[in-house]
Amino acid sequence: MGDNQFKLPPGFRFDPTDEELVVHFLQRKATLLPFHPDVIPDLHLYPYDPWELNGKALSEGKQWYFYSRRAQNRVTSNGYWKTLGIEEPIFSSSSSNSTSKVGMKRYLTFYVGEAPNSGIKTNWIMHEYRLSSSASDCASSSTTTRSSKRRGQPKTEYSGYVLCRVYERDEEEDDDDDGTELSCLDEVFLSLDDLDEISLPN
Amino acid sequence: MAPENMSISVNGQSQVPPGFRFHPTEEELLQYYLNKKVSNQRIDLDVIREVDLNKLEPWDIQEKCKIGTTPQNDWYFFSHKDKKYPTGTRTNRATAAGFWKATGRDKVICSNSRRIGMRKTLVFYKGRAPHGQKSDWIMHEYRLDDNNTSNCNITNVPTVVGDAAQEEGWVVCRIFKKKNLHKILSSPILSTTSITTETRSGQSLFDSCPEGALEQILQYMGRTCKEEENEAYINNNSTRFNLQPINTGISNTSNHNGFHEKFLKLPTLDSPNSTSSQDCYQPNIHEGMMVTENNNNPLSPFTDHHQNMDYHAHHMDSGITNWAALDRLVASQLNGQTETSRQLACFNITDPYDNDDHDHELQLPSTLRGPLSSSNTYHATHDYNNREIDLWNFDRQSSPLSSSDTLCHLSTGPI
Repeated sequence: MGDNQFKLPPGFRFDPTDEELVVHFLQRKATLLPFHPDVIPDLHLYPYDPWELNGKALSEGKQWYFYSRRAQNRVTSNGYWKTLGIEEPIFSSSSSNSTSKVGMKRYLTFYVGEAPNSGIKTNWIMHEYRLSSSASDCASSSTTTRSSKRRGQPKTEYSGYVLCRVYERDEEEDDDDDGTELSCLDEVFLSLDDLDEISLPN
Repeated sequence: MAPENMSISVNGQSQVPPGFRFHPTEEELLQYYLNKKVSNQRIDLDVIREVDLNKLEPWDIQEKCKIGTTPQNDWYFFSHKDKKYPTGTRTNRATAAGFWKATGRDKVICSNSRRIGMRKTLVFYKGRAPHGQKSDWIMHEYRLDDNNTSNCNITNVPTVVGDAAQEEGWVVCRIFKKKNLHKILSSPILSTTSITTETRSGQSLFDSCPEGALEQILQYMGRTCKEEENEAYINNNSTRFNLQPINTGISNTSNHNGFHEKFLKLPTLDSPNSTSSQDCYQPNIHEGMMVTENNNNPLSPFTDHHQNMDYHAHHMDSGITNWAALDRLVASQLNGQTETSRQLACFNITDPYDNDDHDHELQLPSTLRGPLSSSNTYHATHDYNNREIDLWNFDRQSSPLSSSDTLCHLSTGPI
């Protein structure tokens, strides 16, 4: 898993924004710039099934990250990834170039079985990030629709690197109340506070 | 973990590596950070700073407790509790601009089914008590538990034991801004991500609701509500058979005011369902309203309702926009092939409330809804789907208007 020598104190988690994934990890990987920390492995040659990723991809919580290459058909030994048809531009908000499009994110679902049509849909989801065909010429285009449309065949996008985040959607969202949000009970009490105030005679 | 490995300095120039965020679990906060703090052990990395709560406003804390340069949604700090009165046990949490006020009950924090600490939830109010204005800033204040032996299965520990001792010393706090699902949903530009994450968090809000919690709340409210229900029942009957005296009789005014006041508290029970049960409540309000207007009695006890109605009408407008936004959302999700069927399930609920229906229902005179409607909704609370919408409703209630909004739903029974 890379030359992951660094250690962070308890409480730090790998929880990158889309922008960080593209700008820091994907751009640097694609341009072969060295970067630290090199925590995300390249699994291009290993089309693992999503449940095999543990221990191979960078895992944080129930999400796995790895590099791969752009592929028309992402087929694994037991199934295939099928795109959901949703694409989303990723913007960089760095001060130097005010909001420029740096990449695209697309969503895929994993099907067990044979591609393309005989698979059974699973709960495994992939977010696949790629760099924009040319990060510069879309600069400061607020008209995202234009830039997200293909203009002919995209040029070779750097080395064709993509960054993948894979996770299994929970059927029942687990109860991990780590306190980063208000609990349902808290919400109720909060609204009770409002009511207390109303019932006070003014 | 050796200090040499810490090549990152946090509050100086650099740097938590990109992509990493400080998202400690409650266990980590208590057992690693607070434990070390309390026992004066060195913490390798100065991630959690000390903050004097009386001196810093939440938005200043945000600045002071930055970790690295990455955007943050929550901020952590140690705080030393300081007594409000030298002899008392109450904590002073006032700042220059406002104060922190505790809400709800403290939650027991467990690790390996052992109690390790408690969490208190506080809300920041701008201004001075009791006229503070509630803000979106929330604080979770964690304290260690002296009583380490007790079993975690007892979640509702009365917090009196040893409270005095716990009211001083170090605590570790997290502040964050309450997510306003509402605003996000009604914003015209919706990126798929925001939908996804918001939906997910909204979802988990409900799913994470412990089974017992609801019952707790209901029980907590049950006492008051039952009484009022009964009274409502009686009064409603008389109202239905004999409208005149109620609306004209000045002698009744005091009686009604008393009643009115009681109902001000009723939202505790019903408000969670107000959205989903608007169809049965609204019309009643109208009915009452009309009668009042016909009689044109300036002393009518319903004047208050009248005002509330105005508020409410106003509020409904905004409500409709938001439902519209939700509809748009559903549409956009459908067009784009939803990522998860879950999201759809969540949003589908909004269908019955699309604009037209809404308007329509407001006009409906429903005399059919009897006095029992309040008890009906009481049971309806068990419906988890409904609650989903309701919590969104709670978000809305942070506006001053919405309080009267709730009131409106509730004051309908007896009219």
